[in-house]
Amino acid sequence: MSSSSAYDPHESAKVAARIEQRWALVVVGIVAVLVAMVIFTGLHWAMMPPSRVETIDPTTLHVSGEFVESNLGSTVEQDGSVTVRLVAQQYSFTPQCIVVPAKTPIIFRATSADVVHGMLITDTNINSMLEPGYISTFKTRFDKPGNHLMPCHEFCGLGHEAMWANVKVVDQDTFFKMAAKTRRLSCVNP
Amino acid sequence: MNGQRLVSWRNPWFVASVGGTFAVLVFSAFVGFVWLPSAQDDELFKGLLNAICSAAGVPRSWLANASPPVPPSSPVSNVALTPTMLSKPSDASTGRGATLALRCTMCHGARGVSAANTPNLAGQYAPSVYKELRDFQNGARVSAIMAPMVVGLSDQDMRDLAAYYAFLPRLSVKTSHGNAEAPDVVATGAPMRNIAPCASCHGGLTDKVGAPWLNGQPLTYLTSQLNAFATGKRRNDISEQMRNVARQMTPNEIDEAAKYYAAQ
Amino acid sequence: MLTHKRLILAHFWLAFAVFGLAILLGEWQMYIRSPLHAWLRNPDLYYRSVTAHGTVMGYVFPTLIAMGFGYAITELALKQSLIGVKWAWAGFWLIVVGSITAVIPVAMGLSSVLYTFYPPMIGNAFYYIGVVLVVVGSWIWVALMGINMNAWKRANPGRAVPLAMFANVAGSYLWAWTAVGAALELLFQILPAALGWTTTINAGLSRVLFSWTLHAIVYFWLMPAYIAFYTIVPRAIGGRLYSDTMARIAFAMFLVFAMPIGIHHLFADPEVGSGFKFVHSVFTAMVSAPTLLTVFTICASVEIAARLRGGKGAFGWLKALPWDNPQMLALAFSFVMLGFGGAGGLINMSYQLDATIHNTQWITGHFHLIFAGAIVIMYFAIAYDLWPHLTGRAMNDLRLMRTQLWLWFIGMIVLTFPWHYAGILGMPRRMAYYDYSNPGIASQASTVILSVIGGAILVISAMLFITILVRNHRAPRVTPAPFSFSQAVHEPESVPVALNGFGLWVGLMIALTVTNYGYPIAQIITQQHAQVPAIYIGAKR
Repeated sequence: MSSSSAYDPHESAKVAARIEQRWALVVVGIVAVLVAMVIFTGLHWAMMPPSRVETIDPTTLHVSGEFVESNLGSTVEQDGSVTVRLVAQQYSFTPQCIVVPAKTPIIFRATSADVVHGMLITDTNINSMLEPGYISTFKTRFDKPGNHLMPCHEFCGLGHEAMWANVKVVDQDTFFKMAAKTRRLSCVNP
Repeated sequence: MNGQRLVSWRNPWFVASVGGTFAVLVFSAFVGFVWLPSAQDDELFKGLLNAICSAAGVPRSWLANASPPVPPSSPVSNVALTPTMLSKPSDASTGRGATLALRCTMCHGARGVSAANTPNLAGQYAPSVYKELRDFQNGARVSAIMAPMVVGLSDQDMRDLAAYYAFLPRLSVKTSHGNAEAPDVVATGAPMRNIAPCASCHGGLTDKVGAPWLNGQPLTYLTSQLNAFATGKRRNDISEQMRNVARQMTPNEIDEAAKYYAAQ
Repeated sequence: MLTHKRLILAHFWLAFAVFGLAILLGEWQMYIRSPLHAWLRNPDLYYRSVTAHGTVMGYVFPTLIAMGFGYAITELALKQSLIGVKWAWAGFWLIVVGSITAVIPVAMGLSSVLYTFYPPMIGNAFYYIGVVLVVVGSWIWVALMGINMNAWKRANPGRAVPLAMFANVAGSYLWAWTAVGAALELLFQILPAALGWTTTINAGLSRVLFSWTLHAIVYFWLMPAYIAFYTIVPRAIGGRLYSDTMARIAFAMFLVFAMPIGIHHLFADPEVGSGFKFVHSVFTAMVSAPTLLTVFTICASVEIAARLRGGKGAFGWLKALPWDNPQMLALAFSFVMLGFGGAGGLINMSYQLDATIHNTQWITGHFHLIFAGAIVIMYFAIAYDLWPHLTGRAMNDLRLMRTQLWLWFIGMIVLTFPWHYAGILGMPRRMAYYDYSNPGIASQASTVILSVIGGAILVISAMLFITILVRNHRAPRVTPAPFSFSQAVHEPESVPVALNGFGLWVGLMIALTVTNYGYPIAQIITQQHAQVPAIYIGAKR
């Protein structure tokens, strides 16, 4: 507020508008910083949400293609990376225990056989929806060996509360020794 | 403000809002469709057109050159189940099923209710009967008794049989007492062992297509099947959906669950 | 002048009645899935409760508040009797009938699909029909708001539409457009499957259409709160509104940016490409602009009130504020919760950070803090301010009102902060029970107990609130001073044509819908395998 004796409403309105405009610039700055952060992480860490769109018929997953039962689990690819394939269904993930090596590039390929499910692996940034009709593909790596939980995080029906899987991260040596014996790995006890 | 035209390049509000929005859109589209995809190492993000198509969400094959699928070592179920399949059978189909079922009466009873330790089929969900018949036929489910019985059946025969057995009245007249008296493994399951409440698939609470109605089935049959799933001897459950549950159950829980359903 | 008090009271009372019931469900849910209670032996009870709680709190309660408040604003701001009163009652009864129709199958366990529907799961058709009726009832209100504003503009050519009405109509138009997404999903996808006309459904399309509604609906809930920020609070605490023009710009920006950003709910979804996710992320950042503008304008308006009351110094003026005034208290609490909630929201909108907390308890904590916290506390403030004008009776329970607001604030913090933390620990949402004996989730047990306590405080606060309103109906009759909205420091005699109507803003809103949603929707409709079998729920036996 102007403290001058001759109060001029037009002058004070202008002052008010000027302050407001300055704040508007600050707002623009805040929004720009937020967007810049997203772009920076997107470019320098190549971080991207799971968005590699690919479709598949959910009713015949078990009959043919890469999601047949015998092809689920972890696979060592020729380039040394590991592909993990899994199917979500009411009310379990198959395989229900996933084993992966630490410090290795990993590609997850997952889909749903019936309703919308989700998966997250605790203490990691792995988080994806799994939907019937779509394959979720995403890349990740685990820093160190350890055990994680993998709950379904989207309501999928009356057994949703029981849809928990386990993820075991083991060191590379152990994993590749296991991989020498079988072509598709999991930590499910037969 | 009278006489001021809204949609006009001389209206600063129009110019600023439309121009500003357009600028944000163009900028974000450039970053989202061109710049950010360039940081991804997938082949399908390389090159301008590829980047734009992939970022727009055009379906592609993201793992085209992975190792080929490992084929199953023994036959697996090849039935594509959908919840509405066989839901409205014709009378003719049910009738044909009744005729075909004459050969089943020896074990499964004249009206689908068995005196022996074979499953009662009266009132069983049609997709479940159909799926098991198909699985017996292609060897996904192994049974020395059932294998010869299904040899000559056509797909329509199996649909007719399913329709007939679904049509028959169920044995169990005992109304459910809810989950109150059920053993824990049936009522609540064990979440961290990935055991969902039985009733969330097998009727009771809700049903899952392909999962059978269990009430009143013979005790020895229920126990033997749960054990077969647990050990992996039986493998015709699609994508291990039942093995995932059974292998996590303790022998005691298998016993309790089988007793509970047999008594219903 | 309020000439249709019964209509307005009916909306508010129904709103608060269903709110009072649904909050009990919420606390029950919190309790039975906490370590304080054994596992439910019928998990469906939990999912029924979540469906009912969400449907009532998300669709019925805020819609009724927006409608009742909208009718009040029409009469108070335009100083003319509401046009279309019969239609307004028809809308009200549609909501009553719709709510009952929806809740019966839910209570029977035939439609435990949660209020976010989740196709391909399909529940009982009557649940969806009920929700559609509620939305149709609210669309009548949208039409009436437009009709009343335009009638006033014809009668008062060249004059600025009062700010309260401008904002109110902005909210109604936003709702009309944002409800279209869920309406398309319900009418063309879910209902045909629920009625047995189709057996498959495009689940990816459903998710995209629902996201069209799901984010902007929050801004529809928020509009009454923001209207109160701008047009009630400054007057109630003896201040002036800092800027009328900036207020209009903020509401116009909500209209433009609230809707074409919903795909940020689908960051982790496989059916949408990364490019559209980023575009929606940027526009989500844009929608923080009107809120930041609001924070500035309202803080400045509050400072004016403090200085008029003799406040001095850079921060000393804070002491001069009328802290015993419930409106002041509600505003302060609302801003604190908006601040925390908004900070959390910035994480959700970020294309990458979202992955840490997507679909965990963090999200539930977030929207409870924003909606049930920052927004609903202003619904209370609105009721406290309007009630004497609606009942013609004195509102004397100032102490009780302050206690109620304090309890709501404390309860909401105690409820939602542990909830956020549980989310960071990776606790998934919407499970009927958790095995806290498992070492992997044992650390989450105490957070859930804290939330149960927070919920209990909220229940007490809600009951106090209803008590205060009921007591008012029995208080001595008074003639309240004529209702007024806040005066701006510089009342505009006329405003630019762009800020006196919605042509430009609705145009931009629709244009951005086309650019931001057009391709994803068109593409998913034509996708191979997109049609998947509908999964019917509810026991067949």
